[in-house]
Amino acid sequence: MEETNFVLLWKEHYEKIDQSLAINKRLLKELLTEKAGSSIRSLIRGKAAGIVAAVVWLVLLSASLAVAIVHYSSAANYFIVSIGAIFLINVKALYDYIRHLLLINSIRYDGSVRDIQHKLRRLRESLIRHSRVMVLQIPFWSTFELSDKWFPGQVGAGYILFQVLLTGSFVWLALWLYKKLSLNDRHNRWVRRFLSGIGGREILNAEKFYRELEELEA
Amino acid sequence: MTEKAQSDLFISVIDTHKGILHKVANVYARDAESKKDLVQEIVAQLWKSFGNYDPQFKYSTWIYKVALNVSLAWSRKEHNRSKHVRPFPEDLLNLASAGERGDTSTDERGADETNFARLQQFILELKELDRAILLLYLDERSQKEMAEIIGITTTNISTRINRIKGTLRQKFTQLQDQ
Repeated sequence: MEETNFVLLWKEHYEKIDQSLAINKRLLKELLTEKAGSSIRSLIRGKAAGIVAAVVWLVLLSASLAVAIVHYSSAANYFIVSIGAIFLINVKALYDYIRHLLLINSIRYDGSVRDIQHKLRRLRESLIRHSRVMVLQIPFWSTFELSDKWFPGQVGAGYILFQVLLTGSFVWLALWLYKKLSLNDRHNRWVRRFLSGIGGREILNAEKFYRELEELEA
Repeated sequence: MTEKAQSDLFISVIDTHKGILHKVANVYARDAESKKDLVQEIVAQLWKSFGNYDPQFKYSTWIYKVALNVSLAWSRKEHNRSKHVRPFPEDLLNLASAGERGDTSTDERGADETNFARLQQFILELKELDRAILLLYLDERSQKEMAEIIGITTTNISTRINRIKGTLRQKFTQLQDQ
């Protein structure tokens, strides 16, 4: 088949279709009013469970912090600092997550394919970079139960060593995860799983496309 | 422009260019339900950007840009669509069966339909970007318009089209030889 015939084949097929293709104007009008704000609604619907769970978690953390501050005693210093840090890290992660979702959602798709797809990629990569801040809370989970009343004054050297090793390993783990959870390590199965969970699936699925684009631009 | 006038103009533009929506959805969505949802999503995004429509571009160029960008993003999360889309029960685009008949004889129609089905299958097997380029080529868009839509140079477009056409010819020859 000659190359011009492909165009002809396509044209003939769609000319026939075009003659019988009708737009459902009633539905279109409904869509214009219904869908005006629905992309945000659908976005929120899609992520609602996660966002609600995060908010409930923040409420619980802030409530326990409030109780500790209202009934303050120096014994609660480790608790207040640890839970305070966990709370702030979670607030920052949730704020960035929602901000990025809204930014991705607010993109107008009327730019060139290259520009818009690059923009989407940058935003999603930024979402991943910001979301991994969550792992920085790990060390604080090893310190919140300590108390000025008995630590470090009333424990032996063994316990102090244990605590230092525990918190130290948690710090190491947090920093390692922070570094590891990036698109550079996307070929690792569990990194892929993590990235998918925080909205990186689209980037992972689009890898071939970006390679194709780069190839074309080269 | 009043909201009513804007909405009427939008409906008229969509009505005039509904064929583009149909073609893009056919190339990026694999089943009837997905096509229906994809067309709705494209129309919603077109409406979202209609207020900022730049008259220096043709409506078709604008529609192609939005439709292809939405479809590319869509194809990456399609398996999740039930979570993201509130499906409308009806199709935005209705296809009357009479339009499929045409004037040709049954044999010619049969051969054309087979070839078209092969062409469609070949398009679906292409990489995402090549699919967009071939779609624009088959729709007889100029290389300048294609470059505007995709965002790369006309030289790159031209090179890529030649490569895709080569593969297409090869595939059809193989099928005819079998």
